[in-house]
Amino acid sequence: MSLRHVWAVTRKELYHILHDRSTLFLVLFTPTLTLLLMAYALTVDIKHVPIAVLDYNRSPQTRAFIQRITAGQDLDLYAYARDMPELDDMLMRGEIKAAVILAPDFTRQLQAAKGLSLQVIIDGTEPNSGNFAVEHISQRAEAYVDQALARQLNAAGISANALNALDVRVQAWFNPDLKPRNDLIPGLISMVLGFPALSVALTLAQEREHGTLEQLLATPIGRSELMLGKILPYIIVGLLNVILIPLLAIAWFQISFHGNFLLYFGLSAIFMFAVLSMGMVVGVFMRTQAAALALSFLVIFFPGFFLTGIFFPLASMPEEVRLEAMMLPGTHYAIITRGVFLPGVGLDVLWPYAVMMFVLGVAFIGVAALFFRKKLG
Amino acid sequence: MAASVVIDTHELARTFKKVRAVDGLTLSIHPGELFGLVGPDGAGKTTTLRLLAGLLGVSDGRATVLGFDLQHESESIKPHIGYMAQQFSLYGELTVLQNLSFFSELFDVSAPDFNERSRRLLDFAGLADFKYRRAANLSGGMQKKLALACTLIHQPEILLLDEPTTGVDPVSRREFWNILTDLHIQGTTILVSTPYMDEADRCSRVGLLYAGRLITCDTPQHIRATLEGQVIEVRPDDWHAALQVLRPLAGVRAVQAYGEALHLLVDSGEERLPQVLAALEQAHISCGSIRLAPPRMEEAFFSMIQELEA
Repeated sequence: MSLRHVWAVTRKELYHILHDRSTLFLVLFTPTLTLLLMAYALTVDIKHVPIAVLDYNRSPQTRAFIQRITAGQDLDLYAYARDMPELDDMLMRGEIKAAVILAPDFTRQLQAAKGLSLQVIIDGTEPNSGNFAVEHISQRAEAYVDQALARQLNAAGISANALNALDVRVQAWFNPDLKPRNDLIPGLISMVLGFPALSVALTLAQEREHGTLEQLLATPIGRSELMLGKILPYIIVGLLNVILIPLLAIAWFQISFHGNFLLYFGLSAIFMFAVLSMGMVVGVFMRTQAAALALSFLVIFFPGFFLTGIFFPLASMPEEVRLEAMMLPGTHYAIITRGVFLPGVGLDVLWPYAVMMFVLGVAFIGVAALFFRKKLG
Repeated sequence: MAASVVIDTHELARTFKKVRAVDGLTLSIHPGELFGLVGPDGAGKTTTLRLLAGLLGVSDGRATVLGFDLQHESESIKPHIGYMAQQFSLYGELTVLQNLSFFSELFDVSAPDFNERSRRLLDFAGLADFKYRRAANLSGGMQKKLALACTLIHQPEILLLDEPTTGVDPVSRREFWNILTDLHIQGTTILVSTPYMDEADRCSRVGLLYAGRLITCDTPQHIRATLEGQVIEVRPDDWHAALQVLRPLAGVRAVQAYGEALHLLVDSGEERLPQVLAALEQAHISCGSIRLAPPRMEEAFFSMIQELEA
């Protein structure tokens, strides 16, 4: 292994990145842009879900009830429906996401203190808003019924405190407001930082298509020297993103960073090495840029999206899929990124993930060097 | 390896899918030769050079370059040769100097050696004033000279050049060949492929490749001498009519067009010249000039290939 050979390739590749605007854009800005886009698209809290009410009872109690469930910004009362067909129509047109039907004996049920039955219809084509509405309505309805019961009990001379026998106090550590953003953005960061793998996957095919590979193969450069020389510049550029993107997350999205930044930077370098080596494996097997691009999406991006535990918890995956997820550097890096951002854990907790990424990186670059032939055709 | 042979191939073959691009090539090249590889497109020139540069796997036969076996030791050959691909294959976004420096580092040229050689090579190639220009912005001829400089930076014992002057203007072509001649005089072994017969004439030895096989291999003088018969050069006014009349004549082996002239390859000049004149006169085709011409490499190869195809 000659470091001089590695550095010669690295320097040449850096010139290429700096001079080729599309590559420069790809490695420098797409991670940032993707993070902004996805953070906004995926972390918008559900608010102002339009609902309709079909009130067969029409009493002061039902009016109080409706006011209760539509108070605040979560649900908006879109309309009072006259009958079922009208409700149906509103759902079909997508004007409302959920509907509440209050039975004719609403007041009687409430006064009989036998509990309350409530019908809620949701638009199943958009389960997120629907589920949100159901959860919200049942919470408010429960509180409303509890209060009504307490009033009746008080009137009968029984202390209503017994109703609150169970007192659960939940504390969300590390993310006290339970904002999904606080968890999702570190996950997204770990994903977008892997983007330069695409450029690495294309770099060999690009040299092949430009004809420069022929001259390069006629030199005594070693295969692993070539692989490392091509990965190194993208690690350097990628580490610029490791500074830029957490800053963006902290300053723009107000995500708190509790860990040690230097530690994060070091672990990110290992991740870059691993994920870029993975890109190199793709590059070794694909002879054209188009093919390399297609395979990158198949083996790097989609698994990086769905299998690394950013959106879907690893624990809920079947055994085989979880095994595959462990082969992805992004899985370990997502755990590291979340750990460093939210609880602010250190190397004492994160070292197994760092070791795993390093092992994967060495394995990937080994496979790439092994299967790369210094031949044309 | 005999000390007097630097490239030695025996029944060397390379197959692509079903095409045998090189088909049983046996060739010995001695130190200091300027060997020209000629042949029509698709004859296997590029494949031969790529095989010798260790860029393609050997399908059959055996070959050694500087004593290293091509099949098993192709990486050991690479530090000792300078290979120049047919199409421009340097880095366009790098400057002239950066390209040179890149290849010098891969060939482990020391920094002082690089400083001395790059200055000399850039002067030699006439690129001294373009050091900081990006390679992509050079003219075609300058790109070829830069590519040659890059293959020379490690002072290789053997140069393998694949059609280095194709697509280059005549002035640059001549300059390029003057450089090759200088290198030849300095003792570098050069194997160069070319589609141009005037370039073949400047080589110390020439091999004609046809359908992946070496048809003939000799000095240009000998090859010209092996051409049986002579050449009659005719400059007819009506070119097409003349072609119709002359082709079927007895003793005419081939007719080739050279600009306005037609070259007739005949078995005996003295005997056929009057017959050609008579035939043209009979067909009322007037001629600017008609004369016996010395055969050239081109005619020699042309007649050999025609014999093979017949």
